[in-house]
Amino acid sequence: MLKMLDHLEEWLIGLLMAAATLLIFVAVVHRYLSGIPWPALQDALLQINLSWAQELCIYMFVWMAKFGAAYGVRTGIHVGVDVLINRLSPARRKYFILFGLLAGALFTGTVAALGAHFVWAIGHTEQTSADLELPMWMVYLAIPCGSSLMCFRFLQVAASFLKTGNLPHHDHGHVEGIEDPVDIAPYNLDDNLHPHTNGKGGAK
Amino acid sequence: MNSLIIFVLLIALMLTGMPISISLGLTVLTFLFTMTNVPIESVALKLFTGIEKFEIMAIPFFILAGNFLTHGGVARRMIRFATAMVGHWHGGLGLAGVVACALFAAISGSSPATVIAIGSILMPAMINAGFPKRFGAGIITTSGALGILIPPSIVMVMYAVATNTSVGALFLAGVMPGLVLATMLGLTTWWRARKNNYPRLPTASWRERFLAFKDSFWGLFLIVVVMGGIYTGIFTPTEAAAMAAVYAFIVAVFVYKDLSLKKVPKVLLDSANMSAMLLYIITNAVLFSFIMANENIPQHLAQWLLDMGFGSVIFLLAVNLLLLMAGNVMEPSSIVLIMAPILFPVASKLGIDPVHFGIMMTVNMEVGMCHPPVGLNLYVASGITKMGITELTVAVWPWLLTMLVFLVLVTYWPPLSLWLPHAFGMI
Amino acid sequence: DQPIIIKFSHVVAVDTPKGKAAVYFKRLAEEKTKGRVRVEVYPNSQLYKDKEELEALQLGSVQMLAPSLAKFGPLGAKEFEVFDLPYLFDDYAALHRVTEGAIGQGLLKKLDSKGIVGLAFWDNGFKQMSANKPLHMPADFRGLKLRIQSSKVLDAQMRALGATPQVMAFSEVYQALQTGVVDGTENPASNFYTQKMHEVQKYLILSDHGYLGYAVIVNKQFWEELPPDIRAQLQDAMKDATRYANAIAAVENSTALEAVRKSGKTQVIVLMPEEKKAWKKALIKVHQDSGSRVGKDLLQSIYKETGFNPAKL
Ligand code: NA
Ligand code: NA
Repeated sequence: MLKMLDHLEEWLIGLLMAAATLLIFVAVVHRYLSGIPWPALQDALLQINLSWAQELCIYMFVWMAKFGAAYGVRTGIHVGVDVLINRLSPARRKYFILFGLLAGALFTGTVAALGAHFVWAIGHTEQTSADLELPMWMVYLAIPCGSSLMCFRFLQVAASFLKTGNLPHHDHGHVEGIEDPVDIAPYNLDDNLHPHTNGKGGAK
Repeated sequence: MNSLIIFVLLIALMLTGMPISISLGLTVLTFLFTMTNVPIESVALKLFTGIEKFEIMAIPFFILAGNFLTHGGVARRMIRFATAMVGHWHGGLGLAGVVACALFAAISGSSPATVIAIGSILMPAMINAGFPKRFGAGIITTSGALGILIPPSIVMVMYAVATNTSVGALFLAGVMPGLVLATMLGLTTWWRARKNNYPRLPTASWRERFLAFKDSFWGLFLIVVVMGGIYTGIFTPTEAAAMAAVYAFIVAVFVYKDLSLKKVPKVLLDSANMSAMLLYIITNAVLFSFIMANENIPQHLAQWLLDMGFGSVIFLLAVNLLLLMAGNVMEPSSIVLIMAPILFPVASKLGIDPVHFGIMMTVNMEVGMCHPPVGLNLYVASGITKMGITELTVAVWPWLLTMLVFLVLVTYWPPLSLWLPHAFGMI
Repeated sequence: DQPIIIKFSHVVAVDTPKGKAAVYFKRLAEEKTKGRVRVEVYPNSQLYKDKEELEALQLGSVQMLAPSLAKFGPLGAKEFEVFDLPYLFDDYAALHRVTEGAIGQGLLKKLDSKGIVGLAFWDNGFKQMSANKPLHMPADFRGLKLRIQSSKVLDAQMRALGATPQVMAFSEVYQALQTGVVDGTENPASNFYTQKMHEVQKYLILSDHGYLGYAVIVNKQFWEELPPDIRAQLQDAMKDATRYANAIAAVENSTALEAVRKSGKTQVIVLMPEEKKAWKKALIKVHQDSGSRVGKDLLQSIYKETGFNPAKL
């Protein structure tokens, strides 16, 4: 069940990324070609209306961003100012890490509730988006949905941290560097932008 | 008083190590709940509309393009080309590293990505050729920073978004400073290498040079696609980013074939992950600057500075110090997104050009990336070279000093940034 | 005691007609209420951007706005799209008969159900087409990429001329024209000049083909909870501010046009009567196609008020 949610999340954001890129690519090519005076082709192209492409791209990326932010909690990519707490003893640092995770859950939980209320209010109006004329409540649904998922991810990471003492991003396997050089993820190192869970890492 | 509470709360929350985006959001929530009558629902509204802007979409597109390039064998070919051109001078491979970083910077929008792409291939080669590890690490860490100064640049897009400055003008303004900094870093490399008598490569024949150029052509051509496409009016900067992503995908998968189709979903997912993180910071930073505008904080700050009689010289000095300090603890996008909305109104009241100010902020961010305790380039380089941060810090100082000299130049000589966009009629 | 605060937010610069009128209203309102009301003007999207200001007003985060009329369609008040129809009004006299008469009041009333009270219409002016080639006849539009602001009617208008409409933020237009991402656009003369578009466009065609205007609106709950005497004073101030806004818009448009002529960088083209007729003929299709969107009855009543007869073209 949880595995399925994980996969769904990954598929959704990967697909949105690819689809938005292709969409803008097609829209640009279309605009470029329809400016060339080849009568037959131009007539055909002028028939096609892609005015909605920008709006759809924006909405796809906003959805990608909201669900991607939840995925980011799971991969530990969100950056913080960890310089101070990385200098604390592991025992003390634990409390700060836990505090941070719960603060994340508090904020995203609050936003989810506010967002749900907001979507509910918008749902009772006739507001639509300008180009696609989608009902706005559907568009804004990204806020409560993404934020609830993010809240859940913060709690999930907090629970596993309590149990195992590990945070998701500490995957040193891929810093093996030279052989498979390109798999180093910036924002995913022992960089003082993320809390250290063990003695290793940047602040020496 | 209110502004003091906002900032103290923000800094306190940030120092606990929670994600910057969360500390921004919680500060705003607390403030709204307790001290204003702004309806709390506007938070939900702002969290959506904060990134509902087509210019911002350049960020995920450039990240995706960068990831395809990093995985796609482009960097390897650029290094070969750079080596053929400058490898025989003092500094040899090191000098080629600076050139390769500058070339890669012209197609990638991110500094750490440039360090990874060039560093992970060049470092082993340099060690094999007998260079000390420190020398290579110093070059890669600092030259990689060109990634955000030479266009395209994700940090410039962030600045443009935060201040309503034109992305196209900023990109163009980054070209000259980028070339000058690359030259200065190259000179430092050359001088260090000559002093220590580091190995040089045999001079490449023109045939070899041509072959290397031909092999790297499809990567280099992306520079023409992005910059040429923007300035000949085929597309806007955001559209250019989308075109770059599609182009990089085709080159990586079908031309160079260094990336298999099977790996594409992973590249998409990684790009979405990083984009979402940055977009999440943006939304929360927009929320934060909304609260500041609501409280008229930037206007008060501007008025106060003007009343104190500070001219632009002192102001720019103070901004540089502030940004360098922030560079100790935060990464560039957060700094730009939090600071730009506060500093920008003051700068424009003092008559400082928004484009010049943006380039200056970008150079500050470059410096910040190369020194501890927080410096993304440094940590990426440490991952590649397996050197400790302390050792790396010592290794980068000659180049870091060069960058600081360059920062003074950029700050107090606006034509360096503004000449090119003026010549093109962009501003 | 504490004054009542009205946050008046808009998305343009302080020195535009709307920006000036907002400041003028602030002064009048504070004078007439003897300081019992304080109006805080937030220009330049400082507080809310184009896309969010209406929602913010409905939530009560801001009390007063002056969005362009095209913004009300997405809100569910499709009738307002009627103002985007090309060649609906021949001149300011015809226009003001509609906006200041019963039809205008009826339109503003439609906002009531959205939690909004409409106070007045403010002019920005009639739009002129601009491009890098002279546009005399509709055939000259073929294949051109023209920037519009997001609107179904404007989209249909450009397509009716054979051009490709391109939605683009106002802040991006200058550069897009400069590099040629888009070939032209439509603007009242004052916007054209203040955005320095005469530097990047070769021709400005005095087509007067469309109208750009704003509605000044307030949050309904806020408005109804105001003491009646204050409400009356504010209405009074708004009446004067509207007169000022429309006068200043007309003046700025004509001085801007003069300035464009003087700059010598853009050639100003005056359409021959038969050319203008050809434009109208090409564009009347938009009235027919969009008629059902904005409401046939509304369209007919405007025709009647202005004396426009599409059959006579
Ligand atoms: Na770059
Ligand atoms: Na730093």
